Amino acid sequence: MKIICKKEDLLLGVNTVQRAVSSKSTLPILQSIKMRTENNYLWFEATDLEIGIRCQIPVNVMEEGQVVIPAKLFSEIVRKLPDTEIKIESQDSNINIYYYSSDFVINGYDPEEYPEISDISSSENIEIPATIFKSMIKQTIIACAVEETRPVFTGILLQIEGENINLVSTDTHRLAHSQSVIPGNQKEFKGIIPSKTMQEIYRLLQDDDILYISYNNNRVILKFGSVQIITRLIEGQFPNYKQVIPQTCGTKLLINTKKFLDTVERASLLSRDNYLKTNTVRFNIENSAININQFSETGKINEKIDIDQDGEDVTIAFNAKYIIDVLKVVETENILMESSGSFSPCIFRPEDDDNYLCLVLPLRS
Amino acid sequence: MGQLYQAITEVEENISRLLGEVKSLRQYVEYLEEENVSLKRQLCAVSEADTERVQKNAARIQKEAHENLEKLYSEGFHICHIYFGENLEGSCLFCNAFLRKD
Ligand SMILES: [Zn+2]
Repeated sequence: MKIICKKEDLLLGVNTVQRAVSSKSTLPILQSIKMRTENNYLWFEATDLEIGIRCQIPVNVMEEGQVVIPAKLFSEIVRKLPDTEIKIESQDSNINIYYYSSDFVINGYDPEEYPEISDISSSENIEIPATIFKSMIKQTIIACAVEETRPVFTGILLQIEGENINLVSTDTHRLAHSQSVIPGNQKEFKGIIPSKTMQEIYRLLQDDDILYISYNNNRVILKFGSVQIITRLIEGQFPNYKQVIPQTCGTKLLINTKKFLDTVERASLLSRDNYLKTNTVRFNIENSAININQFSETGKINEKIDIDQDGEDVTIAFNAKYIIDVLKVVETENILMESSGSFSPCIFRPEDDDNYLCLVLPLRS
Repeated sequence: MGQLYQAITEVEENISRLLGEVKSLRQYVEYLEEENVSLKRQLCAVSEADTERVQKNAARIQKEAHENLEKLYSEGFHICHIYFGENLEGSCLFCNAFLRKD
């Protein structure tokens, strides 16, 4: 392989695929990036066998070929390269990088030994505008479980039925549900996508992209711009989430989102060193106000936010992190909070927007 | 001629056998109908007191089961179908929904 390219293009390629490089694998070849030429394009590929990312950048190809190069070293050298024309040339499995009159050689691997990121041969394509999907990911990824004995909770359920698209996630303490419309779609899909994949889609998707989704039984391929992400679906049944959403509520509150967030963040500074394991915040809701009165070994806080209250008074305690997470993804000026008492899950949703809700279960004390 | 005679005799025998079967089927259907009527009568004969007693018993068992599950949950165990019997950290939406539904 022999190519000439720009530093910024190399950097773009490396940055795009880098998070798919395995961090845990003991196989050194999985901690590498594969580069191959195709019609004056250079394809970057990385996979940890669960997720695979590919992207192409325009280069000047002088000799076709492919190389596999250790990701960490290559990404560091690319970052440190001067802003000039770069020539890359392979010699057996070694990779020579030329800049000005200098060169840097990296020992690579045999490209034949790198696992193939196989395509999905399906003509079925679902098209989703990037802005819709990005905002839905942002709203639901907060409720994914980090480590779980039940893998289904570490992903986001993607359900497409005709024009309706739904994303749902839960770590069993909270649940986020976002829905939207894909005008004109008639296809169907249901699968649990790993949160790491969703994070990468969110990171790489540009607002003016169109996302194309194709799938088979256990894998999905997502294409947008010059990027392709191939991911395994999480096996297992996502639990019936509709049954956990309360249909009635005794207290309805309308709260200024920003003020609420600032207050809860301040209160959580104190409760962080609490003798309790979780970061608890307790709301005393009465007379159209939320009162927070908490103390810890390091100090105490007394705050009062005026709100619109419709219904009964209630005292309710939450893990502060869960409240902060939802308040950070709600973009409307005011947030609606619906409570059915100290022990029932509380619904948070943007004012005048039925397409999103986050359900948070209070702490029992 | 002898052959034809024998054939007709065979048909005659077949018809009379079929008739016999139909007769016994009719008796069986009559018996079933009678039994059905008597069963219905028995069902109606269960007194209101008996019905109430059975219903109360069922409700008591259900209440006890619900209380047991609630106790289990409050002692820190999942009672939902996903994690049933496993240690519970904090709270669980599915356990909570299960207790509310009951
Ligand atoms: Zn549970």
